[in-house]
Amino acid sequence: MIKNYFLVAIRNLKRNKVFSAINIVGLALGLTCSLLIMLWVLDERSTDQFHEKKDRLYSVYERQFTDGKTQGGHYTPGLLAQELKKQFPEVEMSTGMAWDDYFTFQVGDKILKQDGNFADSNFFEMFSFPIIEGSAKNALSSPNSLAISRKMAVAFFGSPQAAFGKTIRVENRRDFQVTAVYEDMPHNSTLKWDYVLNWHYMQEIREWIREWDNNGPSTMLLLRSDADAQKFEAKIKNFMDKYLEGNAGWKIELYLQKFSDRYLYSNFKEGYISGGRIEYVRLFSIVAIFILLIACINFMNLTTARSIKRSREIGVRKVVGAIRPALIRQFIGEAIIVAGLAMIVALALLFLFLPMFNTLTQKQIEFPVQHWTFWASIIGLIFVTGLLSGSYPALFLSSFRPIVVLKGVMKVSSSANWFRKGLVVFQFALSSLLIIGTIVVSQQVQYIQNKNLGFNRENIIRVTLQGELNQKSQLFRRQIADIPGVTAVTRSEADPMRMGNSTIGVDWDGKVPNTKPLFMQTGIGYDFIKTMQMKLVAGREFGRDYGTDTSGYILNEAAIKKIGYADPIGRSFTLWGRKGTIIGVVQNFHYTSMHNPIEPLIFRLADSSSYGYAFVRAEAAKTKSVIASIEKIAKEMNPQFVFTYDFADDEFKRLYENETMIHRLSNCFAALAIVISCLGLLGLAMFAAEQRVREIGIRKVLGANLQSLFLILSKEFLMLVFVAFLIACPLAWWAMNNWLHDFEYRVTMTVWPFALAGLAALAIALFTISFQTVKAALANPIKSLRSE
Amino acid sequence: MLSLKHISKWITLGGKPNFLLKDVNLTINQGEFVSIMGPSGSGKSTLLHIIGMLDDFNEGEYLFMDQPVHTLKEKQRSALYKQHIGFVFQAYHLIDELTVYENIETPLIYQNVKSSERKAIVADMLDRFQIVGKKDLFPTQLSGGQQQLVGIARALIAKPQLLLADEPTGNLNSKQGEEIMDLFKQLNNEGVTIIQVTHSEKNAGYGSRIIHLLDGRIEQEQQP
Repeated sequence: MIKNYFLVAIRNLKRNKVFSAINIVGLALGLTCSLLIMLWVLDERSTDQFHEKKDRLYSVYERQFTDGKTQGGHYTPGLLAQELKKQFPEVEMSTGMAWDDYFTFQVGDKILKQDGNFADSNFFEMFSFPIIEGSAKNALSSPNSLAISRKMAVAFFGSPQAAFGKTIRVENRRDFQVTAVYEDMPHNSTLKWDYVLNWHYMQEIREWIREWDNNGPSTMLLLRSDADAQKFEAKIKNFMDKYLEGNAGWKIELYLQKFSDRYLYSNFKEGYISGGRIEYVRLFSIVAIFILLIACINFMNLTTARSIKRSREIGVRKVVGAIRPALIRQFIGEAIIVAGLAMIVALALLFLFLPMFNTLTQKQIEFPVQHWTFWASIIGLIFVTGLLSGSYPALFLSSFRPIVVLKGVMKVSSSANWFRKGLVVFQFALSSLLIIGTIVVSQQVQYIQNKNLGFNRENIIRVTLQGELNQKSQLFRRQIADIPGVTAVTRSEADPMRMGNSTIGVDWDGKVPNTKPLFMQTGIGYDFIKTMQMKLVAGREFGRDYGTDTSGYILNEAAIKKIGYADPIGRSFTLWGRKGTIIGVVQNFHYTSMHNPIEPLIFRLADSSSYGYAFVRAEAAKTKSVIASIEKIAKEMNPQFVFTYDFADDEFKRLYENETMIHRLSNCFAALAIVISCLGLLGLAMFAAEQRVREIGIRKVLGANLQSLFLILSKEFLMLVFVAFLIACPLAWWAMNNWLHDFEYRVTMTVWPFALAGLAALAIALFTISFQTVKAALANPIKSLRSE
Repeated sequence: MLSLKHISKWITLGGKPNFLLKDVNLTINQGEFVSIMGPSGSGKSTLLHIIGMLDDFNEGEYLFMDQPVHTLKEKQRSALYKQHIGFVFQAYHLIDELTVYENIETPLIYQNVKSSERKAIVADMLDRFQIVGKKDLFPTQLSGGQQQLVGIARALIAKPQLLLADEPTGNLNSKQGEEIMDLFKQLNNEGVTIIQVTHSEKNAGYGSRIIHLLDGRIEQEQQP
């Protein structure tokens, strides 16, 4: 029996080549898209999930209350990890963790920059990074111990074995001994370090982390297996109170988040964890299901539409003894065969597109050939898709009454027609929704690209100040200034697009006592405002000619607004107990991404700070030669370090990586959804034209011309698309408003994306069906009428 | 073999019942060859479809081999029908996607006959109708007469006791028609009960009994 079904299915596919192609290609496109997204979602969800003790690994986060505002973050005091371990038996192990640093390492003549971090001696016992040489217990136990990755070991010593026990010089400051070599951290780990330095050294070079009222490092805890995380969380909630005595108006609460959740749930709202990448993961999962659904609907639609042609076969089968279940099996079986064929095409497409998809999403997803779960889910997907798309035709076709069908007076009932129309509407509503969404996303991305940041981010070269370059930064900058093509040079402790250091240590005349407003602050060198081409609203910037500038401050407009000075220049302002005067007011600029509002910001003079970057503005045509010259100077002054630079623009791109990815992906998905919907519409138009051959013939005999026939045939479809568009509008409005509200700075929604999407949908639909309708309208009526 | 008692069927048009069959009483015995005649719209096909259990009726009783068809469930009716009735159509109604062999085989598949048995039964039938050479052709490659031959072979493959034919020669030329009728006669002689609907007096003459319908009633019965 199965062989019989199979034969009929294959012969049917062959007999109707165009229909079959539409069916298979449409379904294959949908499947490819769903598979790609499925792989992406799995990759996202697998991030940080490989740690054996992940169920007990927690990251501490803070809710900070100050000046009536609540903020959340993983920034904690550097002493917290050890203190919690000391005081609570529930904590089995703990470690602090800093932020990724690019340090310079040297062995003999070999100098390399590496990406890594600091951690406590427990680190390798808490997290599952396999050790190749040495032991997890002793990896970071002494003040001069250092753990490095296989990659770094190979780069310096040729092999992990050769590296073990050897000495490496760090930042040309101190020698460390390699006490452990670990396997390279996997690509689905958020921690991707080539070295881990011990926490003693962290405390040595960054003294401020030894104080309780400074925040910075993250705190990771491994709870005992018998500990109740919820009870423990309640216990530590007010732990910080006693350490913050004397800081009236400032309160910090501690909470726990599973370390394995940190990647997907990284946003804070009201100081609590609230979403993050998980929203995109969910969104794309829904998109994947929708696209698959659209493809399945096509299949259903085409199959039921074609049912008239097959109704006779069903009638005959019933007359010769088929009962309904047998027919249902046959049609679902056929659907599964088509789904299987589509899946083969889809796998080929997947193989083809995966590299492109990886570039798009900046992932390293591999075609999971060896995983049996992948193949199992592929087969599962074939069956689900087959069932989903085959069930309606199967139930519908098998319900035909044989004599009705065989008499040839078969007319599809109006309810079936309604159903089919409903499917087309659903499909085009989804497509319109995606088109509108894509337009709005690209508008916002455009807006971000073109919005005036408050300074000119183009042609600025950023050089990290390290070693001698930092010690002699004034000489370094003087030499750079002499390079032809350099228009200005300055230094700063932080990148102007990532100024994240906040403080409550501010005071001014008339400040309400015991309020602790949060101000951003950063130290800048001379000529910063000039180099960045920021705008001064009042006053001047720091100048070498003014001896008193070490006690001067430049504030942004938001800070002045907060302080409330009407005429701020020359008025007094205190930062960290150092009373000074306001010498300038800088126009508000975006020191962080446009998701966040512009908060009060203080510039203090730090022309000889111990860390930071040099910024060089070059003439557009000469950036290349300028970089070469800077490199030459840096190599001469600072042979112990690798010269590194980038452009301010790169930092900007990194800020909006997510948005750019969403933009590209939504473009692809929208295009795909439209293509699939059009394939469906095309098939349906073919069918409608075929079904109305007789009507068209009669109308032609009665004298209808081409235009009127075209109108008659197209009207219904265009109406459906229009209705779909009307349904999509409010949904799109709601969804895109939500998305935009994540941005503090955003485009306003206008009718244009809607109008554009509506016109596009109609135009595409018209284009799709026009071939068929024109063909039908041009056909010779004698032929069509004779065939009756 | 079967008996119809006070069978009526109607459809409601504009609120008024429009009778397709009205109070039809008919008994047919094993081995009979009955022809149903009458003008267009007199209810011949409806009557045949009711006998063949392809259509239902509004009033009356239908006993088929002592089983009350009107009280049977769909599944039982289908089982009864599969076992005992074969159908031949004016338009042949072969499945275009299947070959001659596969078309004839189909009823056996639905009766869950084993594959090896099916082969033997179909081979016999092809032999008997002398169409072995055509078994791999598709219906569209055959002439009308040949298609009807396949249709009859398919109707007979499950060895039914009752063969129902709805104008079996309507689409054939006279020579082909004659051949089909001769075949029917021969089948009847072998014990198959046959009921055919026909317009042609000549074809009706092959049967043992002719029933004339007019406006849904049995007008008269005659022996040829």
